[in-house]
Amino acid sequence: MKNRASLSRSPRRFLATTGAVLAGALALTALPAQGASTPGVSDTEIVLGMQLPQSGGASPGYNKVDDAMRAYFDYVNSKGGVHGRKISLVAYDDEYKAGKTVSTASRLITKDKVFAMVGSVGTQTHLAVIRDINRRGIPDLFVNSGYSGFYTDPKKYPTTFGGLGTYVVEAKILGKHIKENMSDKKLGILYQTDDFGRNTVAGLTTAGVTFERGKTAATFIAGSQAVPGALDAQMKQLQDNKVEVVVIGATASAFASAVGSALKIGYRPQYVVISVGSDATTFQTILGARGTAPAVSAALLAGTISASHAPSPAEADDEFVKAFKKINDEFNKGPAAGKVWDNNVLQGMNIGYLTTAALLGTGKNLTRPGIIKYLETNGSKLSSAALAPLGYSAKTHEAYTGFWIGKYDAAAVLKPIDGTRKMWTTDSAKGPVTELKYTRPAIAADALPKVG
Amino acid sequence: MKLSTRKLIASIGAATLLSTLAVAVMPAANAAAPTCSTVADVEICNGTLTNGAAYTFRMPSKFGGTMFFWEHGFRTTYPVPGVAAVPKGIEEITPGNQTTGKDITKEMLKAGYAVAAYDGTVKGMRGWNNTFRVEMLKEVIDEAMAKYTTKIQRKVVYGSSQAGSIITPFVEKYPTYADSVGILAGLTPSPADSIQSACDIFYLLSVFADPTIKGCAAFGTKGVPGHMASVAELGKAGALLKTWSANYGEPGLEFPAAIKPLGIPQRSALLLTGLLTGVPTKSAHMDGISTSTLVAEGSINSTVAILENMGDALGTGTLAGQSMSEITGAGFYDNTKTDWAALLSDEDSGRYNLGLSGDDAIAAMLGVLAAAPRVTGNADAIAKFKALDKSSFTSKHPTILLSNEADRLVFPGNSSRYVDRKREVYEKELAAWEVFKKGPKPRWNTLALYAMTPEIYTKYLPTGAPDLTAAPAASGVGHQTFTTKQMKTWVDMLAVAAKSGKVPTASYVEYIATKVPYLNGDIDYRPGDLKYNFGY
Repeated sequence: MKNRASLSRSPRRFLATTGAVLAGALALTALPAQGASTPGVSDTEIVLGMQLPQSGGASPGYNKVDDAMRAYFDYVNSKGGVHGRKISLVAYDDEYKAGKTVSTASRLITKDKVFAMVGSVGTQTHLAVIRDINRRGIPDLFVNSGYSGFYTDPKKYPTTFGGLGTYVVEAKILGKHIKENMSDKKLGILYQTDDFGRNTVAGLTTAGVTFERGKTAATFIAGSQAVPGALDAQMKQLQDNKVEVVVIGATASAFASAVGSALKIGYRPQYVVISVGSDATTFQTILGARGTAPAVSAALLAGTISASHAPSPAEADDEFVKAFKKINDEFNKGPAAGKVWDNNVLQGMNIGYLTTAALLGTGKNLTRPGIIKYLETNGSKLSSAALAPLGYSAKTHEAYTGFWIGKYDAAAVLKPIDGTRKMWTTDSAKGPVTELKYTRPAIAADALPKVG
Repeated sequence: MKLSTRKLIASIGAATLLSTLAVAVMPAANAAAPTCSTVADVEICNGTLTNGAAYTFRMPSKFGGTMFFWEHGFRTTYPVPGVAAVPKGIEEITPGNQTTGKDITKEMLKAGYAVAAYDGTVKGMRGWNNTFRVEMLKEVIDEAMAKYTTKIQRKVVYGSSQAGSIITPFVEKYPTYADSVGILAGLTPSPADSIQSACDIFYLLSVFADPTIKGCAAFGTKGVPGHMASVAELGKAGALLKTWSANYGEPGLEFPAAIKPLGIPQRSALLLTGLLTGVPTKSAHMDGISTSTLVAEGSINSTVAILENMGDALGTGTLAGQSMSEITGAGFYDNTKTDWAALLSDEDSGRYNLGLSGDDAIAAMLGVLAAAPRVTGNADAIAKFKALDKSSFTSKHPTILLSNEADRLVFPGNSSRYVDRKREVYEKELAAWEVFKKGPKPRWNTLALYAMTPEIYTKYLPTGAPDLTAAPAASGVGHQTFTTKQMKTWVDMLAVAAKSGKVPTASYVEYIATKVPYLNGDIDYRPGDLKYNFGY
């Protein structure tokens, strides 16, 4: 950042410079304050910003999302952009450190002058900046976090819109499945005692699945799982209490750590994992860093039950998967490992698609309030690769309102649990879980969103 | 006010206080024309105000017509041995870096500015003597105008720290005495907004760590006995922080008894205390980000930052709070209606979750606070406390504030509070003007600047412990600790604003920030808010 660099000029030269600058300042003070133009928007370009862990322990998997988004935007740009404007994505690495997220957000806002934040990754990191982004009226679109607290009260965070279904919705749907299919088993949970874990427990409780603290419910403090063996005691607790089904309300690094701890004591329960915790790439990369071969980590993941709002990236016949995969092959300029097609790339592509749709729909006269109003009014009508509709309205900024439940196979692919995919829907409150009847609109031949 | 945590922790003890509590009472005198001499093209004039306080002028031979009048910050009436000495006359002529001791007198004179300063002493008494100092500042300016008459074309009233709550009512009472206004690391009236949080620190430490701490509830006795009682409270807290400095608060909480079995580390209560009271989560040596084998995560780094900051924050609360209590009487602090849970934002609860030991520990600690006996104040004292230095924020002068991102004494939220109040008044005036559109249209004329920290600056010892003896961050930390370029830029802006009647534009600030390291060019930047707002 320019203002964080040091000046090496002598005081005398600085004084001379300051004098000249002050003369200019006298003239500048007569100028009106900031013009009325929208930051990040010119006749030819729309600048978007994003923060994510591109390095560090939390980066595996997530560090592919930005390159995938950029690939989709480059594809859109190759087709003439949005209303004649090219989309530029500026992404910064926050290493999943909240203090860095504050710095990167500041840089995006003040130096890069982004029009909007798009697809930022992480709950805890986003908590560090969400209030400031909203205070400034900057659209905070399609955040890659399922924490319901970001979206269910638009008065609190009026510019923030989700990019995932909420953890509450997902937990309620998984809870219904557990209740109906596993009530003969002894149920337990491992969750991180923060917003993520709290959302998971809330959803399960609403679904009628409850646990006993200290016995069938084991907890840990988010972040502490990085220490080797950090979850040994928790998994032992669940084993000692004869828990047969362990729900995981935690990140993939915690799930990987829990599986490792369980293996050490010969404990092989059935895992039911909130989707961000079971992402195959993340899970296998983390275990790979600990020396576990891909085949072994895939075997460890196999049988795990999870959920998804989108098709599996392995569904080669899915028209969105097919189109996005082609765009990824042609336009993704990320590192070789980063562009390997998987769920993270699919999610990045999908957010790129959704962003393009929102920009198109808002119109040529693109403003920050304009895109927020557009999403609140029309966002629920936007389609994407997801198999569930978006929940956006003036009353909630929750994204996908439905999930299907699947089980990982030996190739680390999530497949519908009964062979036939069934979508379920609910809300982040106390509403029932019902079957979702939704027909996803087809993707256009040019793989560009079409909005009314 | 110059305080040192290490000295504070090391030196406070009742025994050391007993010998040095003399008050140097200066005799009253009549104001007289100052005595002047010229050295190296600068005329130096020294005089005394009608109450005997000293003042000084520095007039460069190449005077450009703008004279700056400096209002210094808090000074104690009584010494705190090893921590804060009783000042001997005028100690600051222009803004100075309290860490390096370097001021910008030379730079200002070279730029053709005349400077003035005075000793804000009222018959040997200092402390919270703001009402007197409003009139003393007027007298200083009157003396300068009498001496230099039309030579002075523009007057800049500027000052630091406590001066924020002197200058603000001053320019409202005497609007023709300033053409622009500068507040450096300043307290925004009402000072109760800030002092209440300092008193909360004492209270929270008493609940979690040392039930013998009475904190601000022990303030209110006048004179030396009151000073000694308040410093004794500071001593208890200092001893506690010293213990935590040795073990980083790793042992489990001992108090209250109900929480002991939970094994929550003391450092989590320390972090909670800091977050509930708004203590900066960055400090001279802790950047809130860097980790080591001992500092596992950013929230632990911030916990050590709070530990490093808290002693000085308490020092402010003690010395300023006791001084205020001499005006309000005992019992100005009351927390019977404080909703502790509401003081912890959802954002902080999530971001610092690991340091706070997770949701369960947070709930347990907040539960303890909800059930703990409260401090009941005195209604009359509370009312006086909240009414201190009342200001209307109606001044039309171009006003430029400069604060550090992580000021541990006067939290930077004071600057945003100042802007909020000015904004509220401005918007009311604008709405009224819009009805008839008569007279000049109200103009927004306030600018808050911030000196930021580097992103990463924590240094670790081979053991993994943070090196708290290393050089402090290059910018953004400490109280009234700015680089020479930052201070000079600020006074240059004040000079230009005095001439134009306007604060610089956003685009100019953005430009100048590219020339001055660590100066924030984002005029919409907002630091953490103060926890209380008692109105104005």
